[in-house]
Amino acid sequence: MSLQETKQDLLKDLKIDETKRFTSLDAMVQGDTRYLRDLRINVKNTLGSENISPKEAYLLALAVSSNEKNEVLKCSFTDYAKELGASEAEVAEIHACASMLSVNNVLYRFRHFAKHEAYNNMPAGIKMNVMMNPVLGKEFFELVSLAVSAVNGCESCVMSHEASVRNLGTSEARIFDAIRLASVIRGLSAVIH
Amino acid sequence: MLTVGAKFPEFKKKSVVSIENGKEFQEVSSNDHKSKNEWMVMFWYPKDFTFVCPTEIAEFNKNYEEFRDRDAMLIGASTDSEYVHLAWRKHHDDLSDLKFPLLADTSKSLAEELGILEANEKIAYRATFIVDPEGVIRFVSVNDLSVGRNVKEVLRVLDALQTDELCPCNWQKGQATLNG
Repeated sequence: MSLQETKQDLLKDLKIDETKRFTSLDAMVQGDTRYLRDLRINVKNTLGSENISPKEAYLLALAVSSNEKNEVLKCSFTDYAKELGASEAEVAEIHACASMLSVNNVLYRFRHFAKHEAYNNMPAGIKMNVMMNPVLGKEFFELVSLAVSAVNGCESCVMSHEASVRNLGTSEARIFDAIRLASVIRGLSAVIH
Repeated sequence: MLTVGAKFPEFKKKSVVSIENGKEFQEVSSNDHKSKNEWMVMFWYPKDFTFVCPTEIAEFNKNYEEFRDRDAMLIGASTDSEYVHLAWRKHHDDLSDLKFPLLADTSKSLAEELGILEANEKIAYRATFIVDPEGVIRFVSVNDLSVGRNVKEVLRVLDALQTDELCPCNWQKGQATLNG
């Protein structure tokens, strides 16, 4: 049972060239850490989460990869999402959403950190029209926003998107599936990039 | 029939591991997985050269990597002899590249001990056992002769048995620490 096989299978799962070298991944194979097996299982299981459709799962993974600036994973997840019927417009919106959150997660986190009333009273002054009438649908767009905000660690964004997505009728099980997937993809991004 | 919590019986049996000349047979025993600190998943089927079986065995084979990544040794088993196993593997395209051993319980002693022999024909029911690294049965399922299994469900159960929340962020007040 060699970890080299697990590495190759992991890359095969992601449609990444199996001969490609990745420093962290290769070190884990050399040093024989079974974490690699846990990682592959976690990736497969979360991409197949019960309360998220396969297309949604790959779009969510794409959003996290975009947020992580990970070209290798972005390619992989775009391919999968498109195979599962995602349109160009939906893929574009995922990237837009991730970029928008890179903005908002900083801005609103600052307000939250600073706890100085004056900043709350100043207008945000940033265009965020992408959030109106998303082609992904309001619920899924909010779910993606919540997951990316959780990755970026913005407390006020997490709280507001979590409340808004539950207001739209989303179950806690679905929300937690989305967060679990986002966190695992972030871990994946740490070793394949 | 042996069930959850019982020790899986000791065994040492012939098995078919390859269709390559000279490399066909290997002994498998109840110690193999324990000595490597691995789990064992043993699935039984009634007879070689029947229709439902190859589909099911091929499905397990397709998921071989999943069992490997979960540190689980996969074994297929029936009461046919190792020679019948070999002939079947050579005869059927879906079975030529099996990555796990097919155990030959020719004397039916193991199936008997497990309590999975069908009364009339004395062939095994479609029983699946998940055994932990200590040799304790942690999951059993048994289907009637004609009902195929869902391999994904076996993996799901294996995950559930193996997943522990070890992260300190999950500790509740008053719980013991990892070492205590």
